Amino acid sequence: MTLFHFFNCAILTFGPHAVYYSATPLSEYDTLGTSVKAALVYLGTALVKLVCLATFLKVSENDSFDPYQELLHAVIGFIDVAGLYFALTQLTHRNISQNHKFQAVGLGWAFADSVLHRLAPLWVGSRGLEFTWDYILQGLEANANLVLSISLAALGSLMWLRKNKPKTLIPIIYACAGIVATMPSITRFEYSFFISCVMPKGHLQPLPYVGGYQKSERLDTSYLGRGLGWHFPKVVGFELFTSLMMAFISWQLFSACQRSSS
Amino acid sequence: MSSGKQRERQMLESFYSMIALVFILVTCIELCDAATVVDVYRLIQYDISGAPLGSRFATLNHHAGSLHLPPGVDLSRTVVIIPIHELNITLVKEFIAQRKPLGGLLFLLPQMLNFENRDPTSESKYQIHEKKLIKNVLVELERLLIHANIPYPVYFAFEDDDIDAVLADVKRNDASGQPATATTGSYKLVVSGPEPKRIASPTITNIQGWLPGLKADGDQNQLPTIAIVASYDTFGTAPALSVGSDSNGSGIVALLEIARLFSLLYSNPKTRGRYNLLFGLTSGGPYNYNGTHKWLRSFDQRLRESIDYAICLNSIGSWDNKLWIHVSKPPENAFIKQIFEGFSTVAEELGIEVGLKHKKINISNPRVAWEHEQFSRLRVTAATLTELSAPPELLERTGGLSDSRHFVNEDAIVRSIKLVAESIARHVYGYQGKNIQIFADDTSLAVNAPYIRSWLDILSQTPRVAPFLSKNDPFVMALKKELQAHTHEVIVQHEVLDEMFTIYDLTKAKLNIYQVASVTFDLLLLLVLGSYLIILFTFLVITTRGLDDLISLFRRPPSRKVKAV
Repeated sequence: MTLFHFFNCAILTFGPHAVYYSATPLSEYDTLGTSVKAALVYLGTALVKLVCLATFLKVSENDSFDPYQELLHAVIGFIDVAGLYFALTQLTHRNISQNHKFQAVGLGWAFADSVLHRLAPLWVGSRGLEFTWDYILQGLEANANLVLSISLAALGSLMWLRKNKPKTLIPIIYACAGIVATMPSITRFEYSFFISCVMPKGHLQPLPYVGGYQKSERLDTSYLGRGLGWHFPKVVGFELFTSLMMAFISWQLFSACQRSSS
Repeated sequence: MSSGKQRERQMLESFYSMIALVFILVTCIELCDAATVVDVYRLIQYDISGAPLGSRFATLNHHAGSLHLPPGVDLSRTVVIIPIHELNITLVKEFIAQRKPLGGLLFLLPQMLNFENRDPTSESKYQIHEKKLIKNVLVELERLLIHANIPYPVYFAFEDDDIDAVLADVKRNDASGQPATATTGSYKLVVSGPEPKRIASPTITNIQGWLPGLKADGDQNQLPTIAIVASYDTFGTAPALSVGSDSNGSGIVALLEIARLFSLLYSNPKTRGRYNLLFGLTSGGPYNYNGTHKWLRSFDQRLRESIDYAICLNSIGSWDNKLWIHVSKPPENAFIKQIFEGFSTVAEELGIEVGLKHKKINISNPRVAWEHEQFSRLRVTAATLTELSAPPELLERTGGLSDSRHFVNEDAIVRSIKLVAESIARHVYGYQGKNIQIFADDTSLAVNAPYIRSWLDILSQTPRVAPFLSKNDPFVMALKKELQAHTHEVIVQHEVLDEMFTIYDLTKAKLNIYQVASVTFDLLLLLVLGSYLIILFTFLVITTRGLDDLISLFRRPPSRKVKAV
């Protein structure tokens, strides 16, 4: 039964990527190479970010909220954007239209992110006998991440690949790109804010539905894996909501630019 | 050509080693993240002359259930959790007598009995009559479990918040009769580990201390000897919890204190008596005093004949005002009369009542109910001083679960020590009938209550089932050292326990409690996810390629057939 659970969570986490690839015209134009290249660029970016975090960030002893550290996290988050720029502009792609290029890059980016951050905890954790809601929430988070990545790639392609943009829309585009880029930091900020202000120092509350969750150990490489499941569903809900919003906004911007150019 | 093949082979080899590594990784990463991990103590598993008794299994992997399950439900894959304060002994008797197939039993003991618990408030939660009730329930339960052959694992655990929460959940589920869902918890109890094995050649260790008396110059005869003996090992339903504070922790403490007092007297030649004193801490008590038997057999003939009498101490820690002296020689015997009179006189002065009980020994019967019977079988005069009025059955009153520190009264031990020490001292120094108090309070020879208390506390935290005490067990060494401090010659004798008793290992384990989701939940989740992915697929096809494409995906096969025609 436990492998069954692992299978369920795996298709929740990685299924949408495969579905996206096969459902949209991406599969017809065989853009797999682009996605793979984008995934490799993501790996490189993740490595660079890790090195920067290790060099510049101090490990705090207590769970207090340090604005300087959060700012540093946000700045390092922009390395993501730089990586995406590299993937969109510098790599040589086969002759594919703008439309499909950003989708392929976003897809590859999101897939690499899911694999890197969620595969290991899923494999190690969800095969155990103990049932927790963690991995389902993590899968939902992966979905939100997919939407966010594609919208960021869309905005990126608008910013760097499209030469003639209507003047009025440019600041909005940059603003949205900024918001989407700092989304990870915002989620982290919300998380640590909850930790420091809502919860008393050093006190883990018993959890209503996840029996004894605080006792279980999770191998989690992402910053969201702090073992405090009480706020995890809230954060995931917030992520899903904002990702859909940003996707809608960027779709509107994209179609607006499309209209103006044609 | 060959280099290409070589390269291919190398690639294959590295590929195979990669696969092997992945397999090893897969099997190693079996993280056991249970909701709760609890220390549990297993019921004893032993054979008497080949007849199997106790719980015969150790590993457990079943769902948890409580007594609130509807009757008639199949329990062969359920572990029933029963807290002691809700124990219905007739129900357990039914389970065992009718040999109902159960997955396992888990008894929850009150935290008060946990000798590793440092919390002093746990005892005060119970009134005195509640404590007595718990004690009686435990005695009955122990008697039931020890003499039964149980074909499934039985464990004991202490109540704490985690396990109470689990039990409350389980009860709620059972009472409502609903199948457990993912969130309302169906719990799985897992104890993993090897199968229990026999303990081969269990050692029993006897420790003896010798205080030589004052030999007058030119006196060639052997001085007479008085022996004081107590058995120090225990036997109980849960060997890891058998601390036996009264049976026979009280006896050990009394022996050590008497040794200390007499060593003070004998240290000065002016006050050394004309009797040798032999102190014996024997093992193998619950097993028909096997250790005492072997110890006596190892004696020199002369030594055995020089023993005037032996006093065996057994359970002197929880009496109010009456003690018993049990003998096997008839009460009309001159020696017995002398001993009993000596004890009675001192007892009167101390305000204690002492009764005499006679039980004939039957040499053909292997059952030895009192330690003095082993002496009597070798024609040495001996008596047992105890608070029990009747001889205990085999493996009863041997320091089980109910024998905890809370039920022992230090004051009773102090009075017993005074009784024994004074009686022996008057015999040694020839003061029978004279009103002289040798070990009076507030003198340098007073009975040391803090010493008694500290030793009693140590004993109440040390489980002492003999087959689990190795030859160099720290506790046995500690007893030896203590006796060495008070006596001159200490001899440690290692023997092998009688083959009639076979004991199996594995007394402690860790119980993992997992909260598992039912199969229906997994299937439901699969259904939901499947439909989500299908909806996502159709949505994406419609928005990016258009509705016609979606329809064409389903219409392709029929259109081909039409074309062929």
